[in-house]
Amino acid sequence: MRIALIDASPKAKGSTSGILLDDLRHCLSGRAGMEMVDVALHSPQMQEEAWEKLDCADGWVFACPLYVDCLPGHLLSCLAQMDEKYSGGKEIAVYGIVNCGFYEGIQAETALKVMQNWCAKAGFAWRGGIGVGGGGALDIMTATPQEHGPKAPISKALSEMADNITEAGKGSAWENRYVSVAFPRFLYKMAGQMGWRHEIKANGGKSKDLGKRP
Amino acid sequence: MKLIITDIEEFNLPVEGEYKVIKPESGIHHCVGCFGCWTKTPGKCVIHDGYENTGINMGKCSEMILVSRCFYGSVSPFVKMVQDRAISYVHPDFVIRKGEMHHKRRYENVIALSLYLYGENITEAEKETAASIMDANADNYDGQVKQIRFFSNIEEMEGLVL
Repeated sequence: MRIALIDASPKAKGSTSGILLDDLRHCLSGRAGMEMVDVALHSPQMQEEAWEKLDCADGWVFACPLYVDCLPGHLLSCLAQMDEKYSGGKEIAVYGIVNCGFYEGIQAETALKVMQNWCAKAGFAWRGGIGVGGGGALDIMTATPQEHGPKAPISKALSEMADNITEAGKGSAWENRYVSVAFPRFLYKMAGQMGWRHEIKANGGKSKDLGKRP
Repeated sequence: MKLIITDIEEFNLPVEGEYKVIKPESGIHHCVGCFGCWTKTPGKCVIHDGYENTGINMGKCSEMILVSRCFYGSVSPFVKMVQDRAISYVHPDFVIRKGEMHHKRRYENVIALSLYLYGENITEAEKETAASIMDANADNYDGQVKQIRFFSNIEEMEGLVL
């Protein structure tokens, strides 16, 4: 079975989507008959290399950030092109992982619904998705153990997704999961706000500039 | 001021009162997730392609009207890219609103959100998704949903006054 791990973040490097796909890859690696290919969808226009990899995959796993309560615009553009090319003519299992900077993974529900509607329209098989909250913390936790600690709920959901991917054809689609980092919300909020202050100062500004009204 | 964001290049629906229309006039660059609009030039997108001031215009509007082809319950890629490029309308800091984390206000205006989606065979699931997205947008902008309407095609919108 060949699974395309589709990084649909607009960032080519260092994205939370990439981290989540790496964690999923870790869950899938070593499973009998499992082959993984990486696909990059960082811009609105589909590239030839992406088409080639998508053509020969049995399953697609999209990972992207939540943008304004929905999928990022560049990904919508790619999905429309895929709909046009494959509509009704490809049997494929589709999974989605949407991460948000907000603490609550449930805020990604609307984006996953758009992906489900896309599958229904194009004739693809929606197999399930994960809404990940607290995505802003994941880039500082790459060395954190998967099984316990703040990443545990996310790792558990990814592991369940990996099981479902492995059983494709035998198991049924599962309900979307919504998870958050196991870290108090007030601390996550505080750390995020400290991060903005650090960043604006690094750019030569002051903390109060964050609230400018041009 | 009414701020209209549409994917219709020949947009000519009549609008009551003062308004501004953002439509496809030149190629739009998608948001690259750099957060420069929060930490480099707060309030304004750092990509200079003619669409960098949407967040500022949102801060001046009383109503934001999205007129778009329906894409799986979402607005079209163009309209979405405009929205994505305008997160500077809100402040990067967080607040808890209705029990969930959202962004703090940057401006004081309360935006009424209207959505006019067109397209053949818009499904009930897509309509429900569109309504959920608008509710979520209203929570995130700390605004309110004014109305959501669906049309089979652009021609069916004739006679509308926004």
